[in-house]
Amino acid sequence: MEHARHVVRVVLLVMVVLAVAFLARGFLVPRSYGMYGPYRYDNVREQMNVRRPAHAGPAACEQCHPDEATARKAGVHRNVSCEVCHGPFAAHVKEDGSVVTPTVDRSYTLCARCHRKVDGRPAGFPQVVLEEHVSGPVEGKVCLGCHNPHSPKL
Amino acid sequence: MEKPPRSLPVVPDEHASAPPEPGHGRREFLANVLRLSGGALVFLAGGPAAEAGGASGKEAGEAYHWDEHSYAYLVDTSKCIGCGSCVRACAAENQVPDGFFRTWVERYVVGMERTHVDSPNGGKDGFGPIQVDFVGTKSFFVPKLCNHCRATPCIQVCPVGASYRTHDGVVLVDAERCIGCAYCVQACPYGSRFLSPLTHTAEKCTWCYHRITKGLRPACVEVCPTGTRQFGDLKRPNDPVRLAIEHDRIGVLQAHLRTEPNCYYLHLDKEVR
Repeated sequence: MEHARHVVRVVLLVMVVLAVAFLARGFLVPRSYGMYGPYRYDNVREQMNVRRPAHAGPAACEQCHPDEATARKAGVHRNVSCEVCHGPFAAHVKEDGSVVTPTVDRSYTLCARCHRKVDGRPAGFPQVVLEEHVSGPVEGKVCLGCHNPHSPKL
Repeated sequence: MEKPPRSLPVVPDEHASAPPEPGHGRREFLANVLRLSGGALVFLAGGPAAEAGGASGKEAGEAYHWDEHSYAYLVDTSKCIGCGSCVRACAAENQVPDGFFRTWVERYVVGMERTHVDSPNGGKDGFGPIQVDFVGTKSFFVPKLCNHCRATPCIQVCPVGASYRTHDGVVLVDAERCIGCAYCVQACPYGSRFLSPLTHTAEKCTWCYHRITKGLRPACVEVCPTGTRQFGDLKRPNDPVRLAIEHDRIGVLQAHLRTEPNCYYLHLDKEVR
């Protein structure tokens, strides 16, 4: 019986080591790691809720700006989302419901992004060489002087 | 006024005078350790799991099941006008640091002898006129983003399991696990990843995972004025992107690498990589 005591001691020691290892693993390995593969599944949920969507689409704008929405839908800019020129919805209507008036670039720069004639644009797309487009001096002429951006066709 | 008599708390006599309990030996100690660690294990296994169940119930996207979706992205390069709306929308939607891009637009000027590619500030401010010192016979814009490959080099090289691919086909980075070693940045043949100067972790296009899991389109697709960028779900039978992949002649970037991209390109030129 004297020898059996040694075995019991070793077995107990092994059990303690195993328990400590399991304990350490519980602390070190993230909870959802390995549920679907070698990654932390909780991160999928975190990424879903990482932030509030900033862009809301034209339907959201239409609720408060029906006139502009109607004009846009009838014109050639019907596929251009409001947020292309006006910026994201979330910068305009804050999470607490307060409204910040967004600044809109009314200069030639904004229109030029799409309509200035540069190499690379599809041939059928309406492009403008400013010097050919307006008569007289170009300085000081802005697109919005003649064109309504929500329905730009004259 | 009479003060109440102050006295020290009285220690119960029976404890002080109790005889030492039997069994203060090594065996008893080890048995206690085992009991304690066993209890701790039960606590660790059960405690956080119960807490997690309560937390995920409150969050948005609870009704979302990733096995019901298989996303794909379609770019029709013949429609792109290089306005850069997508790049600006992406930066605003995902708070992308200045000078880094989750999506960008390239301009190709191609001649018989040479090809010139430019992408000033990722195309964020649009494109200006360009002068090349050869005869360019064609020019076009190509929007680029993470291809969300099915056989990804970037996930393979991640040493800590921070990079992974979801069941609905999106390649994501777990910023909590990422150690910022940038192996994935080097491994991606499309240059879709970067190390964020703010978080020092790898960042990339997520196809706006916080939007698509709520039924919205990625921000770049949402603002594209020409329909160049399209986003679809291959598990929906009549999805326009699915139909285009089924019936049109589509290409992928660097097909020879066999990364099996989930971004498909219509009217792709041989010069585009």
